[in-house]
Amino acid sequence: MSGEICREWEPVRPEEYKGIWVYMQVEEGRVHEASLQLLGPARYMADKLGTYVGAVLIGYGVRHLASEPIYYGADRVFVVDDERLKTYYPRVYGKVLAALARKHKPHALLIGATMRGRELAPYVANTLRTGITADLTNFDVDVEKKEIILIRPPFGAWMLAHIRTPHRRPVMGSVRPNVFPLPPRDESRRGEVIEERVDVEPETRLRIVEQIPIRRSEDIPIEKAEILVSGGRGLGSKDGFKLLRELAELLGGTISGSRKAVDAGWIPHEKQVGQTGKSVKPNIYFAVGISGAAQHLFGIREAKCVVAINIDPEAPIFENADYGIVGDYREVIPALIEVIKELKAKKGRGEATRP
Amino acid sequence: MPLKIITCIKWVPNTMAVSIDEKTGTLIREGVPSIANPHDLCALEAALQLRDRYGGEVTVISMAPPSAVLGLEHALGMGADRAILISDRAFAGADTLATSYTLAKAIERIGEFDLIVTGQETIDSSTAHIGAQVASWLNIPYVYYVVDAEYDESRRVLRVKRMLENMYEVYEMDLPGLISIAMHAFRPRRVRLENKLRAKLERRVEVWTNEVLKLDERCVGLRGSATAVTKIEFMPKVPRKRQVFRGRDPKEAARWLVSRLIEDGLLKL
Repeated sequence: MSGEICREWEPVRPEEYKGIWVYMQVEEGRVHEASLQLLGPARYMADKLGTYVGAVLIGYGVRHLASEPIYYGADRVFVVDDERLKTYYPRVYGKVLAALARKHKPHALLIGATMRGRELAPYVANTLRTGITADLTNFDVDVEKKEIILIRPPFGAWMLAHIRTPHRRPVMGSVRPNVFPLPPRDESRRGEVIEERVDVEPETRLRIVEQIPIRRSEDIPIEKAEILVSGGRGLGSKDGFKLLRELAELLGGTISGSRKAVDAGWIPHEKQVGQTGKSVKPNIYFAVGISGAAQHLFGIREAKCVVAINIDPEAPIFENADYGIVGDYREVIPALIEVIKELKAKKGRGEATRP
Repeated sequence: MPLKIITCIKWVPNTMAVSIDEKTGTLIREGVPSIANPHDLCALEAALQLRDRYGGEVTVISMAPPSAVLGLEHALGMGADRAILISDRAFAGADTLATSYTLAKAIERIGEFDLIVTGQETIDSSTAHIGAQVASWLNIPYVYYVVDAEYDESRRVLRVKRMLENMYEVYEMDLPGLISIAMHAFRPRRVRLENKLRAKLERRVEVWTNEVLKLDERCVGLRGSATAVTKIEFMPKVPRKRQVFRGRDPKEAARWLVSRLIEDGLLKL
């Protein structure tokens, strides 16, 4: 086969590749939850294929973190603890990760699609001349062919592509935070810690000058919220979100928005629901002034209940909601707040809580 | 020294115009026009601002079918100096490994450059792969999620600010290098119609086929890809109750809704 492949690629014998690896991103002295979450799917793949789960921990002063991935399901932890890895640069970390993969030949390598992860993962894939699937949402294992199938929605919403990497290894995928739940932590689990020494090629062409923390709101991330009050173009202005926030806080939830609300600058991109934002899974999703485009509906497909509040009775959101109220949100939301407050007060007095 | 900048643009189906067939719950793709990826136009805007401030030229490239000439004419209309369409049947069906290889080889053919500017991701597949992969092929430094860039001519250094989840970072990058522009950091300028029209009339978009690039067909297109899409399934539409309150009084509506939510066990007060 070697004559058949691109000269830029080294030939690969897939059957030699064992183990499902997860890259452990270390942030502020802790393993990032987005990395630990991937030990769940890795465990499943490894058990199906009869192989081990490997975690890769690289950096400086990170050795003591090696038990973390073991508690969440890893069998082996490959550690590169090196002073030259004190500062994170994607090319430096990427080459270390690629060198480990060349040496140990894992079947698969998963990377959490945090912003740093999204920057790092394709570089690693390219260094190994293998393929990579971005933002997978599900996976499957073809036990007969011993192949991992990564599944993601391509071309926007409502379709799922099954992606195989037939001839190259490792099979690589990135996964957005909170797509998979954190596996249970079991401090009685034992695993093997393997210290590795790797040639570290320093970054000579890029220098970090400064890090400036951003004061983010204390809001729960929208993909973890149980109640979301979400606004769209129909709010008419940024001010509308004040009302939405009042309702959200009353119910212990938070606010989010449609692409139109983000484009208008009313709400930050990290709170965007839909195809180009995040997929959410709240118990109740209030869609306020949101018309209900396919791309938005994709992001709320896992919401238990969708409530639509819209002044336009023809808005497609009503066809895709459990409960709908046609009306001006500036009247409906205050009424909701009032009714809920009344009920809470009744409950406080020990009365029956029927509106 | 003036800046020689290259911006990569993807020709994508306008996913914002896709709708759902209410009967079958599937996506209606027919008749959906293709457009220049909006995030790449933000990258072009960043590139044009750097050129306008420090001098130089901006070349836009796109690997796409012939219809993408329209997207490149749009870029010329915005003020790009040169546009190259990389187009050949041999390049079709490429995954991001093969696409980035082809783009990197085309960039090598363009010759010396200082900076490559890409968009954060595309609206159709949103992988955000190409920037890092092109940087990897060309062996140059790269930074993602850039919100601001300044050029220090005397040191040939680009000072970039980028935004992560919880911090800004400032880097100094020796050129040549690559930056990927954060989604909402730049708003693309309007197309000047006379520029676009002139680009069209003068056929200013150059087309490079594989006769020009002479790439090994085992490294490009479907053959040069490591991944293969083996199945596409449609996700069924989510069934919803579709109960709409019939009435005008907001207080009544609120009571009705809260009752439903409590009955469903979704709202616990």
